[in-house]
Amino acid sequence: MPVRVVETSSALSHPSGGTSGNTLPSACTLLSVGQAFSGTQNVSSQQKDEAWRVNVRIQGCDLDHGYLCGTMEALNVPMADTPVVTFWEGEIVDTKNYTFFTGKWGATSDDDIKHWTKFPSFSPLLSQVEVDGGKSLDLSNYPYIFMRWKEQYFVNVGTDCGLTIAGFYYVCFSCSDGSINGFYYDPNSSPFQKLELKSTNEGRLGFSFSSYELQ
Amino acid sequence: MPASASSPPPPPPPTNSRHEDLIGRLSSSSTHAKLKALRDLKNQIIGNRTKKLCFLKLGAVPPITSILSSAAGGGDDAELNVSLIIQSAAAIGSFACGFDDGVKAVLDAGGFNILLSLISYPNDKVVSAAARSLKFIYQSKLAPRYDFLQGNNMEFIQSLLNSENENVTGLGASIITHSCQTNMQQKALSDTGIIKKLIFMLGGSVTQKEASLESLATILKGNPDVILKFMEPENGGALGTVNELTKDKNARTRLLACMCLIVIRNSSPSCLQDLRIKTKLILILLELLEDDQVGDEAPFALSSLIAEKEDLQVLAFEANVIDKLVNHLRKGPLLSRRLEGILIALANMCSRLERCRDRLLSLEAVKFVTDALSQDSGEVRAAACICLKNVSRSVKNLSAGLFMNENFVVPLVRLLFDDLTFVQVSALDAISNIVVDFLAHKKIFMQCGGVKQLVQLSKSMDSTIRVKAVCALRNLTFLVNDQCKEEILSELTQLTLGSLICDPETCVQEQSLALVRNLVDGPLDSIQHVFAADALLLHAVGQQLQSASKAEVLIQGMYVFTNVASGNEVHKEAVMQELFPPLANDSESVMLKFLHSDDSRLRTAAVWALVNLTFPSSSGAFGRVMKLRNAGVVSQLKNMVNDPCLDVKLRARTALGQSMTSDDGST
Repeated sequence: MPVRVVETSSALSHPSGGTSGNTLPSACTLLSVGQAFSGTQNVSSQQKDEAWRVNVRIQGCDLDHGYLCGTMEALNVPMADTPVVTFWEGEIVDTKNYTFFTGKWGATSDDDIKHWTKFPSFSPLLSQVEVDGGKSLDLSNYPYIFMRWKEQYFVNVGTDCGLTIAGFYYVCFSCSDGSINGFYYDPNSSPFQKLELKSTNEGRLGFSFSSYELQ
Repeated sequence: MPASASSPPPPPPPTNSRHEDLIGRLSSSSTHAKLKALRDLKNQIIGNRTKKLCFLKLGAVPPITSILSSAAGGGDDAELNVSLIIQSAAAIGSFACGFDDGVKAVLDAGGFNILLSLISYPNDKVVSAAARSLKFIYQSKLAPRYDFLQGNNMEFIQSLLNSENENVTGLGASIITHSCQTNMQQKALSDTGIIKKLIFMLGGSVTQKEASLESLATILKGNPDVILKFMEPENGGALGTVNELTKDKNARTRLLACMCLIVIRNSSPSCLQDLRIKTKLILILLELLEDDQVGDEAPFALSSLIAEKEDLQVLAFEANVIDKLVNHLRKGPLLSRRLEGILIALANMCSRLERCRDRLLSLEAVKFVTDALSQDSGEVRAAACICLKNVSRSVKNLSAGLFMNENFVVPLVRLLFDDLTFVQVSALDAISNIVVDFLAHKKIFMQCGGVKQLVQLSKSMDSTIRVKAVCALRNLTFLVNDQCKEEILSELTQLTLGSLICDPETCVQEQSLALVRNLVDGPLDSIQHVFAADALLLHAVGQQLQSASKAEVLIQGMYVFTNVASGNEVHKEAVMQELFPPLANDSESVMLKFLHSDDSRLRTAAVWALVNLTFPSSSGAFGRVMKLRNAGVVSQLKNMVNDPCLDVKLRARTALGQSMTSDDGST
């Protein structure tokens, strides 16, 4: 979800940690293409409390490459006439394609640890992550999936909309109930803006799943 | 002085009449006249496809074969006889050179066997002429395959390769290139020392080098054991020799050496691991793209090097392959073979890597690809579709709605009507991706008549067309609004969809069920689609779940029921009826069978249906839980709370928890 532009962000770039080793997380149907989530992002600042309603839809998933993507729609953005939709791409921390260390987007390993430790489900992993970023962990049967979501472009508004997508989210997805918690990270924005989403069922008494198959 | 009026010179006879006259002279009683006619004819047809066709239609091949046959049988004047053989053999070779109709005529007239018998003729010039013509015949796919494993046939090939005569060794190599197809043949050729002989030929003339490289590639293709033998030190560093030939001054030799190395790399990935060799191959092939002689074939060789290999695609990307291929497109217009090759190479570059797709799009090269959709050549049209298919694998760009516009959709929909099946298939693949579109612009595709034609193709007798058409409809139905669903269904009809679910081909069944799955996803009202026409679709899905055995079919079927079971009470009860028919034995229910499946995807789908059927806030949950308990489903769920598959384990726990809650709520 975009946030207000505060000042020009400076993204430094490091190669991302492609490592070899462990097995991939097993597919979680609640995180498959077509699945929708809704909730809020707390964008409170020292001046005022504020939360934007947010909808997320998963559009693509490639576990072999630790890749996930989708759209994020922010509904009551004060300076926008319409809901603002962005397209994001996610890195799944599978310890094969990506580790817990971001290595780019201006995030140091200290920033990483500070954000990951905000998720209670991360604490059993902390000691190993501090050693090697989690390279040697086997997360294939862990009931939480950790990810980084980076917004790539605005889908329905121009880049001159007064909003920025310079930062990225640290995300923790619960395989049990499909809930998503996240923290937005951008050195130039309010720290630890919390994203809270729940799996939606569009008025149904249960869960529904659609699918497509690219050729 | 008066003079008699002179008559104007007679007009030259019409072309066909002159040609007929020439053919007539082939049957002259004078040997000298025959010889002259043969020379004249040969000179006329060399390199001239039109003339070849013209003489072919006038029946020139049988009389020439007849001359060859008589002369091969002997004659009074030995010298004249040899000339007749050489000239007639050469004429036959000219007909066959690069011209399949000519090859067919030669084969029909019996010329092939006569030429073969002349390989042992006691005159080197005759042998040379026969070998040369046979080589041309063996370059055609119409030539008969040589059975290496029969009788003394292998000795014959060895004798050809041992010959001092270059045309004869070339013939031996051509026979191998044309006829060697199985691993057993490859092994037999390798075991009899043929490889050694071919390696020796790599040091010969240009013709020998090229013939040898082609044969070696044929013998090594897909056979790691033979490759291992080829690499043995006793073969004197043969790999190094081939490697050296990639720097040869002759472009065709360079191309064939690259192709040989690519075959080795593709068949035995542990060979040629050196990054420098791989990069070198890419650079040489790019350079050969500029060559007039082999520029048409170079992009195909590049494609075989990079196809399905992400590491090589990365290397090629870093070597600016996309920019260089696009530069060729910009230079246009290109002949169809070269255009096809470049489009296929671009397609392979964009098959996996997003950065390649980004680059192609940023160069604004997609315009050239869409232009190629309207080319005369079917191969080019298909190649353009394949390229678009791979570029549109990008979810990022699909999400931006980049492909759902008339520039792409109109020509692609037009190709659904193409006369050539392979073009239709390629267009269906591209359309399948493009209609995924996340921006809710699917209407554009429908307005172009796309749905109507897809529905038509879903009734095709060709199962490949059928499955791809249904897959495109399935993708079109993904996250589509209800109005579009109505339109798709009104064109497709419940009846047709019902028969597609029961199609004889399981892959069609799978796609059809996936289509229904998408149809009943989204707003609650969507579920009604399977209840229309006396619940025809729901029953069809139920029947398929009872009778199908392929996991992929069952998975899609179960997700249809999962989605329906996420609806209201009526929907949930209808699913219960299908899964547990009133008169059936509960202990043999499909649900229990699926919960016991070895395929975790099917177990997952089945448990999701149970999660929805036991959903706590639904009023009839208790009754359904009772039914599930009686059917042994609840006790099976208890066995699954530690399922090795995390997804199954979590859903089983949810379903079991809901079943318990339901029980508690009832008491």
